[in-house]
Amino acid sequence: MRHPADGTLRRLVDDPVGVGDADREHVARCPVCLSGLAAASQDAAATGTALDVDPDVDLDLDVDAAWRRLSRAVAARERPRVPASAPVPRWRAALRSPVVAAVGVLALLAGAGAAAAADWVQVFRTERIAPLAITQADLVALPDLSAYGTVEQVADADVREVADAAAAEEAAGLPAPRVGELPRGVTGEPTFRVGDQLSMVFTFSAEKAARAAEAAGEPLPPPPAGLDGSQFRLVAGPGLAAVWGASRGVPTMIAARAVAPTAYSSGVPFETARDYLLSLPGLPADVASGLRSFSGDGTTLPLPVPAEEMTSSTADVGGAPATVLTSRDGAMVAVVWVEDGVVTAVAGSLSSDEALSVARGLRRGR
Amino acid sequence: MALSTPPRRGPVRADLEPVFRAAYPRVVAVAARVLGSRDEAEDVAQEVFLTFGRSSVPAGEALGWLSVAAAHTALNHLRSGRRRARREEAAGGGEAVCPDIAETVVVLDERRRVRAALARLPRRQAVALVLRHSGLSYAEVAAALGLSPGSVGTTVRRAESALRKEVNRHASSG
Repeated sequence: MRHPADGTLRRLVDDPVGVGDADREHVARCPVCLSGLAAASQDAAATGTALDVDPDVDLDLDVDAAWRRLSRAVAARERPRVPASAPVPRWRAALRSPVVAAVGVLALLAGAGAAAAADWVQVFRTERIAPLAITQADLVALPDLSAYGTVEQVADADVREVADAAAAEEAAGLPAPRVGELPRGVTGEPTFRVGDQLSMVFTFSAEKAARAAEAAGEPLPPPPAGLDGSQFRLVAGPGLAAVWGASRGVPTMIAARAVAPTAYSSGVPFETARDYLLSLPGLPADVASGLRSFSGDGTTLPLPVPAEEMTSSTADVGGAPATVLTSRDGAMVAVVWVEDGVVTAVAGSLSSDEALSVARGLRRGR
Repeated sequence: MALSTPPRRGPVRADLEPVFRAAYPRVVAVAARVLGSRDEAEDVAQEVFLTFGRSSVPAGEALGWLSVAAAHTALNHLRSGRRRARREEAAGGGEAVCPDIAETVVVLDERRRVRAALARLPRRQAVALVLRHSGLSYAEVAAALGLSPGSVGTTVRRAESALRKEVNRHASSG
């Protein structure tokens, strides 16, 4: 009788009942096949050991948490989908302010880091933040990128509370902000929150953009070659935050750190996408020129600031240029800066001096 | 994989939750065999189920489809080099298996070589290997990959033999 095939010997190793009697009997008496069986058995065992890195992997999976994460991702994918019969006002609102979409796209381009696949080219990395004043008239709707393509949330931040600073540091891989001297009115121990890396993919669709422009009554400038269907992957985080006063409903102060946004393109250079988006009809000239200059080097993240509600100024936080945002009613101040690819923010119902003092303390202590 | 596959239009399938709850551990286990990291495996599982949610894969074939998709997506992650050694080390859990540090280093190094070798195998061999070692029966692997049941053993055997040669070659050369 001929020798059974290698595949049959292999099956004898871990599924002997799947092998016919004749083959089994042959192998039991055949030195050649017994030696082949031994080799197959050794290779199978070695492979099993090598692949079995995490033997507990299926023992304590949190299926509920994983399902919640998937549900959010599914919902995030659902949201940008606008059926053809969508009520007109929504379209009008979105189209009246292409600035919002353009800002949204740029914030996405600018806005999201690690994990570049081999075929993804890094097009943007946040090194600075620049405030961009946008009036209420421009902000009639949230960024509605669905007018220009599809947005797919690949991984969401899953922001959650953790036990203490050490747990936050472990989860986020960043040093937790440590505040030595709390401003007056901020008391108690902070609670800590962490968020995972957020990852989104925006796929530009010339067809959708054309429809959007048509609905707005203006022609769509012809998209540059390669833009249609090209993808931009945006990554930000992980991050962590220390929150004071959360138990009283409104936090009195927040100190947060996160890996700053980075964007990757599947092909089209950042400048090409940026220049095209800025040429879309309806974008106010000053906003467009602001966006163009801020994002010129692919390292400055434009931070949209509602001009009626906030004022922005610059300050120095221990050598790093920082942006100070102050609400016009004086109720809220935020200090934001980027250093070594990490964005840090201190915000709360503070004076700008207090916020800057905390910020400088953080920078010294990190 | 989910990234290169355009999301299909249409509603999310109604049976997504029961399928997810039944198959999630298996899908994570398959991806973890490839990646050696549970966290990364869970990320892959999310990608896979997101794609599945928009698909019209028959419910009866869901587990096989999901397992194959998990293996492919995880292998894509390996190949694209978007992994970080830090994560592998953090998730390796080596010390639980072998308390000796020198041994841990050797094991981690071998695992890295195994994964590099896995990424170089012919894709079908790699997927069959991973599925079988994740507990799919010969019949399930055959159905999932469209192989004849008889050829699964051959494919897995070849993969294991190739893996051993690859690992040895790279071990002796460097």
